[in-house]
Amino acid sequence: MTIVNSIIKFTVLAVIILILAVLGYALFGDRDITKTSPLVGKQSPGFTIKLYDGKRISSEELKGKTVLLNFWASWCIPCRQEAPALDEAWEKYKDRDVVFIGVNVWDDNENAMSYMEKFGGQYPNGIDPEEEIQVNFGIGGVPETYFIDKTGKIRDKYNGPLTGEIIDYYLDRAMNPGEEETS
Amino acid sequence: MTLTSTKKYTGIITMALTVLFLFSAAAFATEKSLDDRVNEIAYLLMCPVCQGQSVAESNSNLANDMRQIIRKQLEEGKTNQEVIDYFVNSYGDSILASPPKKGINWLLWVMPGVAVVLGAVGIALFLHKSKRPEDEVEFIPADPGDESESEYLKKVDEELKKYE
Repeated sequence: MTIVNSIIKFTVLAVIILILAVLGYALFGDRDITKTSPLVGKQSPGFTIKLYDGKRISSEELKGKTVLLNFWASWCIPCRQEAPALDEAWEKYKDRDVVFIGVNVWDDNENAMSYMEKFGGQYPNGIDPEEEIQVNFGIGGVPETYFIDKTGKIRDKYNGPLTGEIIDYYLDRAMNPGEEETS
Repeated sequence: MTLTSTKKYTGIITMALTVLFLFSAAAFATEKSLDDRVNEIAYLLMCPVCQGQSVAESNSNLANDMRQIIRKQLEEGKTNQEVIDYFVNSYGDSILASPPKKGINWLLWVMPGVAVVLGAVGIALFLHKSKRPEDEVEFIPADPGDESESEYLKKVDEELKKYE
């Protein structure tokens, strides 16, 4: 009887350990939790933005330049919070082959224009007339920002309001992708 | 107009109306089928900005955009799987209402069954164990020659008499 009890106890213990090991693997195993989008590391989806100044800008024209693609809306409070940092960063990077593009989503033009007058957005801003860019880029809310390198590959995605430091960090990674990969 | 020609015209009109009806019915059937396919796919995708709602159930702007894109891609001739793959490419596997049966996700499908089996085994073992002591209880008759017990019973009797 004692041997049977010992076997049962051992089996129960082994099953518990196995379950904990499997759950541990599921939680901390082969998943890259630092990746904020499955698009990171891939070529950027193609896009054409109709800018508020009437011009159009497409992803094809931006090859060879580092791109900061920021998704925002006039009703979004964190977007207002990050707006001054974006303007300051644009002043800093505009002559360094870096293009800032603001993409207004789930909004109307009047509110968007009024937002830009109040909170900033000196760099090119516009909308996707097809209203597909937000889904192509897997946007789940605003603000969300993509950092695209000169080859058109998405280096990073940041969810939430940007600060000057965050912009510097991700733009540096996007502008110097080789250094990052070799280090 | 003779009676024959009137019958002839009536026949032509009837035929034309029938053809028109069939075409509109076919057109309606195609439209309906597209709606069904849009809904079918929308139910397989979770709305990324909602709490536990599928794209079909949500009224959010994003879900609305997604439904339009599903429709557009189906109209372009894409298969259901190609449309789903497009969303997985943008949002990852988390967009799927049912996790794909691959890698570690298999656990999600297997674990409930394993839990039920383990639970059943556990209950069976518990019942088996809890039954055993009862079966093994031996009835030991009181020893009539036990002095201490008879003393004790005497005392009980005396105490009871006090209350009579």
